[in-house]
Amino acid sequence: MSGEFNSQTISPETLATEYVHPDNCSFATAENGFLTATINGTFYKRVILSRSLPLFFPDDYICITDADRNEIGIIKHISEFPEEQQKAINNELSQRYYCPVVDEIISVKDKMGNFYFDVKIGEFKKSFTVKDISRSIRQIGNSVYLTDIDGNRFKIEDYEKIPPKSRRKIEPYLY
Amino acid sequence: MQVKAAFDLASDGSLCDGVLLFDGQTLTASIGEKLIFTSPLTGGELNIRTYSGCSMLEIVPENPSDDMSDCLPVCRFSMTRVSEIGEFTKVINHYLKTGEETEISTKGFRVCPKCGRHYAKGLDVCLFCVEKSYLAKRLFGIAKPYSKQFLFASFLVLCSTGFGVMLPIINSRIVDYGLSAEAISRGTAVHDIVLYAVLLGATQIFGQFFRMLSQRRANKISTSLSNELTAGDLMKRISRDTETVKGFITEQGMYALEKLVMFIVVFVILMRISPILTFFVILPIPFVVYAMRKFWTFIHIRFEKQWRRASRADSILHDIVRGIRVVKSFGSEDREIEKFASVSRQLADISVSNEHLWAVTFPFMFFFTGIGEFFVLYIGGRGVLNGTMTAGQLLEFSLFLGYLYQPLTWVAFLPRKLGELTTSLIKIFEITDEVSDVEDSENPIPAQLGGDIVFKDVQFGYKAYEPVLRDINLTVKQGEMIGLVGHSGAGKSTLINLIMRLYDTDTGTITVNGNDIRDMAQGEYREKIGVVFQETFLFSGTVYDNIAYARKNAEPGEVIAAAKAANAHDFIMKLPDGYNTFVGENGLNLSGGERQRISIARAVLRNPEILILDEATSALDPETESSIQDALAKLVKGRTTFAIAHRLATLRNADRLVVIEKGRIAETGSHRELLMRNGIYANLVMAQRQTAKLTK
Repeated sequence: MSGEFNSQTISPETLATEYVHPDNCSFATAENGFLTATINGTFYKRVILSRSLPLFFPDDYICITDADRNEIGIIKHISEFPEEQQKAINNELSQRYYCPVVDEIISVKDKMGNFYFDVKIGEFKKSFTVKDISRSIRQIGNSVYLTDIDGNRFKIEDYEKIPPKSRRKIEPYLY
Repeated sequence: MQVKAAFDLASDGSLCDGVLLFDGQTLTASIGEKLIFTSPLTGGELNIRTYSGCSMLEIVPENPSDDMSDCLPVCRFSMTRVSEIGEFTKVINHYLKTGEETEISTKGFRVCPKCGRHYAKGLDVCLFCVEKSYLAKRLFGIAKPYSKQFLFASFLVLCSTGFGVMLPIINSRIVDYGLSAEAISRGTAVHDIVLYAVLLGATQIFGQFFRMLSQRRANKISTSLSNELTAGDLMKRISRDTETVKGFITEQGMYALEKLVMFIVVFVILMRISPILTFFVILPIPFVVYAMRKFWTFIHIRFEKQWRRASRADSILHDIVRGIRVVKSFGSEDREIEKFASVSRQLADISVSNEHLWAVTFPFMFFFTGIGEFFVLYIGGRGVLNGTMTAGQLLEFSLFLGYLYQPLTWVAFLPRKLGELTTSLIKIFEITDEVSDVEDSENPIPAQLGGDIVFKDVQFGYKAYEPVLRDINLTVKQGEMIGLVGHSGAGKSTLINLIMRLYDTDTGTITVNGNDIRDMAQGEYREKIGVVFQETFLFSGTVYDNIAYARKNAEPGEVIAAAKAANAHDFIMKLPDGYNTFVGENGLNLSGGERQRISIARAVLRNPEILILDEATSALDPETESSIQDALAKLVKGRTTFAIAHRLATLRNADRLVVIEKGRIAETGSHRELLMRNGIYANLVMAQRQTAKLTK
């Protein structure tokens, strides 16, 4: 998927999105942990960031809203911002998106239509249940995203790079 | 007061075993011995913010700033904990508001004490830990009323199997007696052969007859059983699963008995003919069964993948066909063809690979399954030559071998069938075991709705951790018309759902005429409420049936009067068969306005004490709407009415408007009063006026 819109057949004005950039916008973390922003001279004591395309472009097209989810602006690329601000932005995003990376799949058991996963996330062992695997297991490139029955997300960064034993366990559910 | 809940995410996102504790004064969060958060909590409220894959608990002060920047983040937790912390939040918020202590309800997050996993929705067991016999016990429990039919069907199966088993015996008799040198010299060979041939024919006919009877019986039982499993309108939703259960009972259930009986009988007969030969036949069986099961475990994963690819191809094709107008209008036929072709190719690849594997490996499996036959031929043949065994006995033994292998092949495939059965049964039980959100009290009081409706401290959310309505306090006088106004998602329809008692409040009460609506029988209560929805559903049937749906015993005169009150009579009389005109699916198409008038006539005929108009005229053009307004005005007169409308002009007849914003009542008053206040309502009116100007 290309990161740029195809603008050959549509007028640029119609699809022009205004992005915030380091010249008119800056971020910082407040003492209570909330992300603050100054956008076009207005100071916001609490802003919430959401990824527009969390699976394809997790670091681009980040939507800035207030606590009531009213949009204030969009960041095109996080990387455009100074390092300190990038840290604050990424910290806020990491609070909102929790998708631990699965390092190893210990077992997958199919019991009466429910798939019970036992996995290793870092040093922790985690068990979760997946139902309706055609919807709950998504493969994008070599990454695999799993959603369990409670709504937790898990990610296998690159299923070709996990231990072969683990790969054999997840492979049947990728199609 | 002491309430506890567990949370599982540390501030750096790592997993942890954290504990939230509220002692009536202070809220603390700790991980092990380490206190990570502490704050006095005597006012304000707790709030959960749901994010992607996790949630956050925060303290909202009593009068929060508009930007909510003065909230205090407490801790984060994964979605596994969200229901439990939702209940924790509910209990504390209720305590902070009322001082009443309540207990955490575990209804929404029952956890298996053995493995710690959540119970499947609607079920009382952990599917991971439950014994394998659980489903069998439940299925037998449901099948109990049909035990007599089962026994009879089993008897028929036994008869059919018995006749089947006789065939090799008769064959061996033909060889040993009919074709023996002695019979030929006696001249009775033809007579003996004819006699045995008749016997053979009769046996086959009877065997077939009993098989047919038992199959028919099994079909009948499985149909009754599947009806038992699916109550009423759930039938459609889970018809595929009931078909699987039905198929299993009809096919595998009957086979199971047949195969088991056959295996035992044949084994006994073989032992009687030759214990040594039987030993050689039985010897490879455990290895073969083990190998077949292993083989199946390996191949079934590949076949499952093939089925999933087939299902994806189906769903893509289904999408293309359903959205054919969009596809054509965007000129994207080629793109869609390529998309479907690509998944079809993937499906073809795996199908070819699976068939190839199957074709290569299965003959070997069959060869090893039947390897005992070579021993039989070698040792039996030597026996016939030595005179220790007759040719008939050898033939009988060989034929019986086939009967012995049949059940074994069947057993090898049984796990897959059982897997399908258990998955379908669980899906069915998840629905049939689901406890209703609204339960009747043990001794319901009569539903008398002629009185004021009072909402007191009502809070409600479809999920415990996401309140949709908060602090709803409202008194509606009998006969008053209330217009509910607010942005989409503000909570208007949820309030209507609570009035209809489709859900019970989480906290607080709704009383009608001084009585809590939870104390009234739901059926009787709802009978006295009339609703006109935005989307009018007409059942397949006549116009008359559709109006009389509101009251089955209505007189024709009453139906016509209701239609007249709803301004529907005139157009109905222009229909080809008047009130007997067939409408609904496959019936005459009525316009939106006509359908809505039938819906109003239904409500008029019901003569409800409380009337709900849920966007009743939103789907209509302004001209049709104004003609329906007249009918609605007649219906509303003298009844307590709640009306939701996005077009604010529709609510001009309302006695009072209630503006709902973010789940709370933000403003109440008449149209004029609210305009004077210059608040949310005034903004909504202005916005609509500007839109109207723009569209002119």
